[in-house]
Amino acid sequence: MLNSSVMMRRLAIPVLAMLILVACGRSADSSGEGDGSQPAAESMGPATGEIQVWAMGAEGENLGVLADDFMAEFPDVTVVVTPVPWDAAHDRLVNAIAGGEVPDVSLIGTTWMGEFANLGGLDPTPSSVDPADFFEGAWNTTVVDGTSYGVPWYVETRLLYYRTDLAEAAGVTEPPANWDELKAMAQAIKDAGADYGISLQPGGTGAWQTFMPFFWQAGGEILDDGGSFTLDGEACVEALTYYDSYFEEGLSPTAATDTPVEGLFANGDVGSFISGPWMIAVVTDAGTDPATFTVAHQPTEASGTSFVGGGNMAVFADSDNKPAAWAFVEYLTRPEVQVKWFETVKDLPAVQSAWDDPALTDDEMLAAFGEQLSDAKAPPAVPNWEQVAAEIDSAIEQVTVGDMSPEDGCAAMQEQATSIGTGL
Amino acid sequence: MGGTTAKAVGTAGAASTAGRSRRRDELVAWSFALPFLLFFLVFMAGPIVVALVTSFTDLRVTDLRNPLSVDFVALENYVAVLGDQQFQKAAANTAVFVLFGIPLAMTLGLLAAVGLNQGIVKFRTVFRVGYYLPAVTSIVAIAVIWRLLLGSESGLVNGLLAGLGIDGPGWLTDERFALWSLIVMAAWRSLGFLMVIFLAGLQAIPQDLYEAAEVDGATRWQRFRSITLPLLRPTLLFGAVITSIGYLQFFEEPFVMTQGGPLDATLSIAMHAYNQFSFGNYGFTAALSYILFVAIALLTLFQFRLFRSE
Repeated sequence: MLNSSVMMRRLAIPVLAMLILVACGRSADSSGEGDGSQPAAESMGPATGEIQVWAMGAEGENLGVLADDFMAEFPDVTVVVTPVPWDAAHDRLVNAIAGGEVPDVSLIGTTWMGEFANLGGLDPTPSSVDPADFFEGAWNTTVVDGTSYGVPWYVETRLLYYRTDLAEAAGVTEPPANWDELKAMAQAIKDAGADYGISLQPGGTGAWQTFMPFFWQAGGEILDDGGSFTLDGEACVEALTYYDSYFEEGLSPTAATDTPVEGLFANGDVGSFISGPWMIAVVTDAGTDPATFTVAHQPTEASGTSFVGGGNMAVFADSDNKPAAWAFVEYLTRPEVQVKWFETVKDLPAVQSAWDDPALTDDEMLAAFGEQLSDAKAPPAVPNWEQVAAEIDSAIEQVTVGDMSPEDGCAAMQEQATSIGTGL
Repeated sequence: MGGTTAKAVGTAGAASTAGRSRRRDELVAWSFALPFLLFFLVFMAGPIVVALVTSFTDLRVTDLRNPLSVDFVALENYVAVLGDQQFQKAAANTAVFVLFGIPLAMTLGLLAAVGLNQGIVKFRTVFRVGYYLPAVTSIVAIAVIWRLLLGSESGLVNGLLAGLGIDGPGWLTDERFALWSLIVMAAWRSLGFLMVIFLAGLQAIPQDLYEAAEVDGATRWQRFRSITLPLLRPTLLFGAVITSIGYLQFFEEPFVMTQGGPLDATLSIAMHAYNQFSFGNYGFTAALSYILFVAIALLTLFQFRLFRSE
């Protein structure tokens, strides 16, 4: 039997909760964004004092090199670099912003920009940064709802890797220029004896990064000018039908294989795949003779657009040393610093003029990446992008592996994306 | 009379002394309990209540800087969760995992326990340790090894099948087999734990019952059905409750081995909650978690009724 004091205690918690809720409620403007004013960095004051910088992965481990150079030029500033593992980075940044205990500067994954800017965590980019210095697709990853919050630091884009020896043996001597030629090459390589002509991602996390370029090439746009999703148009159906045909015709594996793609590529089981610049080293290490493979521009239909990703550098709204923080960020985007960074960790420069340096122009494969970067897009920097992307991944898998039609797949993407919303 | 009065006074004095000492005992007891109590209130009860409140709000990651500026949305999150197709898929997967996984694990555990209790005398310790080893091994290590075993081209299982002339499927990459592969793996993993529990239960059954039954001419099977099973009932209940609480929350297996794929075939409720949390849908995730909590409570209640001694 419950006695009354126990009852009282059991009621107390919900009642307390209700009291807290009474104090809740959204105000008319709860977006929490900055005021959008973008003063020039120089007008903020001199760069002095200490700044805390977070960076992930190899970038975090090596950023000290650039920090030392910076401190030599700005002796009044001390830069403290903290490496953060990529796995933990997102949550740590969310917690830091929520708690107001932020570093001054951090590397931010391009697809996180919308979320963090909308959370009110990032400082608008000062007007002294010229958007035209950067690749357009990369710059757009910093722009959330019309305001830029940071600068592109390094970029990556996706190209077609293919085995030139297998292609030549199959009678293909030129890189495929359009969808039909890409398909024909995959078919020819398979006919010549490879298990698969190409390896495209059938679904799972990040499949959208391989699929979206085809969507853009067919003339599609993820958002219209009014900020509504437009994923179910003719372009999507066309692109998804084309993408699906590789799986339907057995030109691409429909499930992840035990051997990673670089292994299959090295031993000739797979003739081609689409991926980023890091794969040059990976396929070479896997035993592919560098003379037997090359990279090529994405096939061109309405356009030859690829996906651009990478990392941005942003200053936090709660930073108490913004002058020094922005001075450091602007330093990182100088062309010569971008080249030095490329030489340090092989990250591709986001600043266009850095690509004139012989360190990049002398390498044919890298030059191809540079060329593709001027025709590369990123998804819109909206807070809910990661969730929308997961739905796109799922719809792609329903079509390529499951028995959903491309029309229904695009309709599913649109329906899910619309119900999730951009989050702005 | 006088003697009685004196006795009464004496009793009263003793009672007050006892009361004082009981109060002191109580104080000491509370002071021992206090460290746990504080931790429990701050790190368990607090978040549980906050999560309940959150489940009735539209809290998202973008509200974190002003968490009190969210709106109260009544049961909207619960309605959204129940109408979410991925949740329905995850709930169906979890139900299959529990309905087939638990009987499988319990049957195997019981077989191992009975075998070790009666039949196997040689190498008994070796078997006990062997069966129990998976229970104390990191689930991540197990998942990685099983992924190698179940690989579609170079996996050991398909290698053996190929020896028999059978072309094995992609155990983890084919949507028809992925969930069942995880069920078998989970049953194998919890077998050892259940075996230890059941062994303890078996050893508590008085030996003379078996002897009496044997004298009456009961067969091995009759002895098992009429003595072992009924007397093992409380132990079976304990095993079932503990295992189903774990199975309803199964997460590491798909997280490490399949990421919920292919085609969401191995997406569990806990994994769906994890995904939604990382998308920043805190209100939705809190509602989802409370639905899982209610499901666990209901299943436990059901098991208590099922195994209640007549």
